[in-house]
Amino acid sequence: MHHEFRWTLSLAIARSLRLSTAHSPPEVSRMSLEEPEPSTHGDVGVTEDGLDYAALEALIGDSVIGRESHVNADGFVVRPDDVQAVLGTLKSEAGFDFCSCVTAQEYQDRYESIYHLKKYDDPTQEVSIVVPSPRDDPHNQTATPVHQTAAWHEREAYDLVGIEYDEHPDLRRILLPETWQGHPLSRDYNQDKPQIVTLREHANPLQEDARSASDPDTMFVNIGPHHPATHGVLHVKTTLDGEQIADIEPDIGYLHRCEEQMCQQSTYRHQIMPYPDRWDYVSAGILNEWAYARAAEDLADIEVPEYAQVIRTMSAELCRIAAHALAMGTFALDVFGDFTAVFQYAFRDREVVQNILEDLTGQRLMFNYMRLGGVAWDLPEPREEFFEKVRDFLDELPHKLEEYHDLVTGNEIFQMRCVDTGVLSPEKAKEYGCTGPVARGSGVDYDLRRDDPYGYYDELDWSVITEDGCDNFSRVLVRLREIEESARIIEQCTDLLEEWPEDDREIQANVPRTLRPDPDKEIYRAVEGAKGELGIYIRSDGTDKPARFKIRSPCFSNLHSLAEMSQGEYVPDMIASLGSLDIVLGEVDR
Amino acid sequence: MQSQTPLPDFIASLFDMIPGVSGDSQLVFIVSALIAGTIVGSLMLTQTALVIWAKRKITAAFTDRIAINRVGPAGLLIIPADALRLLSKELIVPEGVDRPAWDLAPLVLASSALLGFAVIPMGSLLGIDFQVADPETGLAYVFATASIASIGLVMAGYASNNKYSFLGGLRAVAQNLAYEIPLILTGMSVVLFAGTLQTSEIVAAQSETLFSLGAVAIPSWYAFVNPFAFVLFLVANLAEVGRNPFDIPEAPTEIVAGYQTEYSSVYFVLMYLGEFIHIFLGGAIIATIFLGGPAGPVLPGLVWFLIKIWGVFLFTQWARSAVPRVRIDQLIEIGWKGMLVLSFANLLLTAVIVGVIV
Repeated sequence: MHHEFRWTLSLAIARSLRLSTAHSPPEVSRMSLEEPEPSTHGDVGVTEDGLDYAALEALIGDSVIGRESHVNADGFVVRPDDVQAVLGTLKSEAGFDFCSCVTAQEYQDRYESIYHLKKYDDPTQEVSIVVPSPRDDPHNQTATPVHQTAAWHEREAYDLVGIEYDEHPDLRRILLPETWQGHPLSRDYNQDKPQIVTLREHANPLQEDARSASDPDTMFVNIGPHHPATHGVLHVKTTLDGEQIADIEPDIGYLHRCEEQMCQQSTYRHQIMPYPDRWDYVSAGILNEWAYARAAEDLADIEVPEYAQVIRTMSAELCRIAAHALAMGTFALDVFGDFTAVFQYAFRDREVVQNILEDLTGQRLMFNYMRLGGVAWDLPEPREEFFEKVRDFLDELPHKLEEYHDLVTGNEIFQMRCVDTGVLSPEKAKEYGCTGPVARGSGVDYDLRRDDPYGYYDELDWSVITEDGCDNFSRVLVRLREIEESARIIEQCTDLLEEWPEDDREIQANVPRTLRPDPDKEIYRAVEGAKGELGIYIRSDGTDKPARFKIRSPCFSNLHSLAEMSQGEYVPDMIASLGSLDIVLGEVDR
Repeated sequence: MQSQTPLPDFIASLFDMIPGVSGDSQLVFIVSALIAGTIVGSLMLTQTALVIWAKRKITAAFTDRIAINRVGPAGLLIIPADALRLLSKELIVPEGVDRPAWDLAPLVLASSALLGFAVIPMGSLLGIDFQVADPETGLAYVFATASIASIGLVMAGYASNNKYSFLGGLRAVAQNLAYEIPLILTGMSVVLFAGTLQTSEIVAAQSETLFSLGAVAIPSWYAFVNPFAFVLFLVANLAEVGRNPFDIPEAPTEIVAGYQTEYSSVYFVLMYLGEFIHIFLGGAIIATIFLGGPAGPVLPGLVWFLIKIWGVFLFTQWARSAVPRVRIDQLIEIGWKGMLVLSFANLLLTAVIVGVIV
């Protein structure tokens, strides 16, 4: 009953908004195991049983100097000056249009950049392009002309590891200050050596000229790092032409907390596991935990019991609702202006989810609920009470969502502000490596829960939400409608959990007390976080700590597209676009 | 012929009771006028002090919160606490501000709004008529003084040596230009009905019965006579006092706090006061020309008058809590392409109706 009702409701709302064209009937986009649609690109190497890497190798032929096998995909070792050629060929001929992440690391004898390539149409088709470069003079060609998103990823690699990317349009430090000495993730970096940089030597953002030298009609304004609407310590260097944006550049790194390094110094089983909660700290904790858990479990071949998977799926979706509610509330705050009813309503409703999560995990912010191989504990006793609480929440949700549609998406001024502002075309979204609601708001039908199934998602009945508006409004609609979908998932999980036989409630697989994955295994695994693809790259070296731990943050890539979205728009639109990206600086800066 | 200066006259008549002092002398009249001004000014300042408390309670009610309830009964003692807190803060004068313009701006803002109250008929309490002056040009005077605030905004925005303030100042000017014309044109349509600019006469013209619903007589308040003009005026007034959806000059999420970004301590208090007195002045004008001024059953006129201006204040807070802010270009578009045309149409229509029927 509830499903039908919810669908009629959302369709009715959509129609009243005259947006029904953007909605496809649920049956069409409903999650299923059907084959992905054929790619418009070439599909060299695609076979029934996965990728034929030999065919791919033949495609990029001469550039390949070696072959590696990672847990998630095969890797081709290519020459440092052939990066653009290889990535370009793979993009145009084999359909690898998504550069998910760039991992840089230093070995004893060489530096290495790994480009993790995927397809937006089918993220299970992966390939890693491994680019070695000599230790004494690490150089390789940039991938920026092929994948725009690589620009930021390579800047980060340069900043933290020290590899230089030739032909890069703007190779500067991105997380650390310009004046930083050394590259902290390189092998000979001395962690104990103090950074002696006097205040005077630091770039002072206030000293920049009010007008850019080339154009005397523009004004330079620092929006942030202390500004009411930058959602944390984000600094946006803005050049204004009147009230319109002539040029912007997000300056990040104010909340850099050495997260990758922290993980590299922690043990797999006990020390890293609670840490992901701190990355995206606004209610997405369990989703983050799952990203690490998935990567580490696949690395160490740990099979998670089915019952635990259902609990994980349910708790993750609860987190998603909380995160989306917060995103909605803060976005409304950015567009409405002062503290308004919407923000408080969003928090009121999020509070209910928070209470459920508190019952489940004992925590409200840093849940620390997942364990490698399962979850920390079973549902709270008495179970009936817990289920009732969840059901009450789900029963009231349609009514609450209707309220948001009345108050927010149905408001004409809100539509005036959000429709056709912050436009991000699907092509650009892919180029910038956008994922999550940002990509889906641009009509990119990409959701790892369906496309690269994990947990219990492929057993459940739900749909991936996309909107074709490509604007701020679409991104809000996607989030609101995803709350409905999450509710459907939670409802089905609740049913499953309630009927689960009591003697089969296994919440934890057998995992060695000290986990030491086999040496030199490499894996890149991602889950659908609240903000998009949250990926983890781990390289093991046989010890109980990872040799390299890389976090692919969805917010990082999504934020990169801000300049594209707000070029030529008004300041308020830029603020709205920033809000609609729903970034958390803890995850951007890592 | 009614007195042109009701409240000073009444005070002068009190002086008259003192032996040896003549109520007719020029000096006594000036002193009485000053006292009258002080009384009305203090009355309005008391209202704005109440705002410190009421605003939070009202917003909290709109947004599902409780708000202050610990400092004194129902949190009322927050008023002195806040005053003390704000006044004891350091007055930070940023580098490179353009003095004395920077120092004068808060004064201009606060006083320009207060000046308007001089001609507002606030009704009577215990037989005393609360109106400082009642000149024949009353309404023109109110609009003129209210417009001085724009100069204060420009001064604050330009003198602060801050880009956000500067943007806020520019926005404020653009907005006030775009909305004051419709505001005054709509006010003009009322003048056409009443046939006078004198505020007391406008109020008097609204005392007749429009029609009777059984035993209840509906007065001919101009809000009932011409609801279209009333709505236009309400909207234009929102823009004039800078409240959502038109709080563009401050727009915290865009330009931090606009023209008031660099003001702290006493100056901030003055700015804040000016803003709220301005809202009350807007309410007072609306009450006077659309809601029958101090008219109302049972309660004394002054009380009714205060109820009406608080009603308008409530409306601005409601808008603030529920309506998104428009963008600056949209605001200008609404002002010049929408409100201006509508207000001219309203004025013409009113002129025709008044000319043909009356």
